[in-house]
Amino acid sequence: MLDAGICNYVVITYGHSALWGGGMAQMLFQMTRNEAAFGHFGAVGGYALAARRAMHEFGTGPGTWQRIASGQRKWAALNPISVMGKKPLAEEDYFKAPMAADPFRLVDICLVSDGGRAIIVTSAERARDLRQPAVLISGMGQQNPSREIGQARYMAGPTGAKKAGKEALQMADVSLKDVDACQIYDCFSYTVEITLQDYGFFGPGEGGDWLKGGTIEPGGSMPVNTSGGQLSEAYFMGLTPIAEAVMQLRGQCGDRQLGPQTQTKPPEVILASDNGGILQSHACFVLKKG
Amino acid sequence: MSLKDKYAIVGVGYTPQGKVPDRTSLSFHLEATANAIKDAGLKKEDIDGLIAYRHFPPCPGEPDVTPQHIAQHLGIEPSYLSQDAN
Repeated sequence: MLDAGICNYVVITYGHSALWGGGMAQMLFQMTRNEAAFGHFGAVGGYALAARRAMHEFGTGPGTWQRIASGQRKWAALNPISVMGKKPLAEEDYFKAPMAADPFRLVDICLVSDGGRAIIVTSAERARDLRQPAVLISGMGQQNPSREIGQARYMAGPTGAKKAGKEALQMADVSLKDVDACQIYDCFSYTVEITLQDYGFFGPGEGGDWLKGGTIEPGGSMPVNTSGGQLSEAYFMGLTPIAEAVMQLRGQCGDRQLGPQTQTKPPEVILASDNGGILQSHACFVLKKG
Repeated sequence: MSLKDKYAIVGVGYTPQGKVPDRTSLSFHLEATANAIKDAGLKKEDIDGLIAYRHFPPCPGEPDVTPQHIAQHLGIEPSYLSQDAN
């Protein structure tokens, strides 16, 4: 619409009384179809199925996911509007959390949040005259390999992230080495692992080692989900990661701002992702400081 | 032609979040959009495209939220309205 000259300023908005109003339960009931006969209700069972297959195929598991869940919780502690920021999640807390749908514990699963989020997109030229520092959409890629997990040829990946990520980086003319941080759609801790793996940050099953020593945490070499993400900040679908990428590139993130105060690289390029269904659709964005 | 660096994100709108009682889904759309417009330093009349991101079944007791609803309640008439899929 922007490229065709039909629109100049497009707003993309999300709002959901998901928790208090019971909206998320309605959505999950709707997702429950024929596979319910096999114990797959809503989204948790479907992702648990994919994660279990991944454990078998490339040897991942809770040891890897704990580093993601606990790492993101550390970022949430620096974000005053995060839902979970006041509750630390040490390694032992993670393993003590109740099992929700094996192999997922409750802390592997995103929040259900009331609230909304919106962003406005315009041309790079118009952006220069506006109030905030511009954040450029430098590259994007999308890949939708299947409609349902039961129809997915490769349950443990590669997911749509592989092709979408490659396309987005190619359009932006950058490589993973140029990426300063990632804001990854994290409906489950495992989604972060498989997305980063498919983007090429590490090989299949090497995520546990890659995450060791706080790679994604404050002070780490590749900060991930710096608002706390959907696991620990709030769940507004793809607008949780995109909003955080924009705010970080604008330098307006307060205590969690990437740069000297969190012993991380001041960000020039951030990768952000969105994901739909049970790993069936994927969108990747390369966002760049304008 | 490549879209590289041709477009930019210029506004972000937040709302109260977590467990927020007595609010409709529509009210969160309106507040987030109004805050994004303010953040960008725009006027609501500047908005000529509106995309309602994701589509869920309505919450019990609420009507389905449509992009038309959102535009009408904001008092704007975008040239382009769209509803994303689930």
